[in-house]
Amino acid sequence: MPSADEQFAGLRKGLLEFAILTFVSGRTSAYVGDILEALAPTPFATQEGTLYPLLSKLRREQFVDYQWVESGQGPPRKYYQLTDKGSGRLGELAAYWRHLTSTLESLGR
Amino acid sequence: MERVVTINLNGTSYQLEEPAYDALRSYMARAEAALGANPDKAEIVRDLEQAIADKCSAHLSPGKSVVSATEMARILEEMGPVEGEAGEEQADAGAAPQHEPWRPARRLYRIYDNGAWTGVSAGMAAYAGIDVTWVRVFWILSGLFTGGFTCLIYLVLIFAVPVASTSEELAAAHGAPFNAQEVIERARREAGRFAETSSAQWRREERRWRRSWRRQQRNWDAGWAAGAAQAAAAPAHPVGYLERMFAGLFALVFSIITAALLIAFLIVFFSILGNGSVMGWTPPHDVPTWLVLVVLAIAYAAISSPFSALQRTSYATLNGRRSGGGAEGLATLAIVIIAGAFAWTYSDEARAFIEQGYVVIRDFVTYWSSQS
Repeated sequence: MPSADEQFAGLRKGLLEFAILTFVSGRTSAYVGDILEALAPTPFATQEGTLYPLLSKLRREQFVDYQWVESGQGPPRKYYQLTDKGSGRLGELAAYWRHLTSTLESLGR
Repeated sequence: MERVVTINLNGTSYQLEEPAYDALRSYMARAEAALGANPDKAEIVRDLEQAIADKCSAHLSPGKSVVSATEMARILEEMGPVEGEAGEEQADAGAAPQHEPWRPARRLYRIYDNGAWTGVSAGMAAYAGIDVTWVRVFWILSGLFTGGFTCLIYLVLIFAVPVASTSEELAAAHGAPFNAQEVIERARREAGRFAETSSAQWRREERRWRRSWRRQQRNWDAGWAAGAAQAAAAPAHPVGYLERMFAGLFALVFSIITAALLIAFLIVFFSILGNGSVMGWTPPHDVPTWLVLVVLAIAYAAISSPFSALQRTSYATLNGRRSGGGAEGLATLAIVIIAGAFAWTYSDEARAFIEQGYVVIRDFVTYWSSQS
């Protein structure tokens, strides 16, 4: 029997965007290392190969934006923050998520 | 001992072990293929390179300057497969995110494998996906029926079709997906086949395999030497397929020209030495024969040197290194010998002339030994 991790990969994948927007909304700005580190212990643990294309898609849809920030060592880093449109999207996602969970609960009754 | 490749990731140079470089290159190629027509492809690729560079730095210290193959494997595993837009849509639709394995463009290469002599037939068989025996039979039969005309085509193909020297090119020759898994699987299949066959055959296979391995190694040496020279300025990349094709064609053309010049020189040289005249023209009587020959040699050197320089350059491009290893000289000599053999067989005049040249040399040697 595969673990829950393997079985519900598709489900988590759909929610990864939600998780990232939520994480970014919680702070003024975040860089990819922060996001990976924060998600690593959660079921949403992901990798650069997935994260970079997803972040670029979110930026193209204007939900997040980034700024170059000089780092102490190495080249400058991209710090992402939520845009107004992004917080709107996050609100929609959260509302829809509540709708989904309440629906599931009511179905079981 | 491992060969080291220097690469440039987002402006910083890193030294990688050769297999590490191979792995990185194929990872980036698959990433670019997965991103497909993504409008932010270039930016994502840069981000990925930067992330890999950061991870490489973590493995390096003042006392350790080279990223090993195992470290690179771990880094790429941490990076995870790059997912394109198509993958996301599939996931939205609830389907398993099973990517079509990345397939490189199928290309005609020469393959030194299965006891190949020039690799042309093996390459064509791989391209068409049929058994190499059929291709060899085709060449032999068509050569017989067209009176040797297709042999000329074959000769041109030897020059024009690049040799598949890296595992990636070998995969492209078969049109097979290239990734580590595939390479390992193939190696395992081959190993299984060897184990089944008798020991004598196994030894033969091993010798053959070693030969092709040495050849492969030489090609790699050449490739990496070129790569390393470029690495300081730009990411290492081998000479492209088209470039090599044209270099091969030019190499053939210039080889023929230099061979023709050499033949012309030999004809004039032996005519003057033997008859004292060439094509009805006699040098002035007050000029001694030795001076005519010296002037002739200088003229030959002056005319042929630009062509042999072009020929050398073509071979250097073809082999991806500066010194051609004498291949260009051998090619010229081979053409001269073949042309001579043809002339000997089909033209009585040429035969008489070559015999006369032999007599001149023999007389000269007799004269020389009687003097000393």
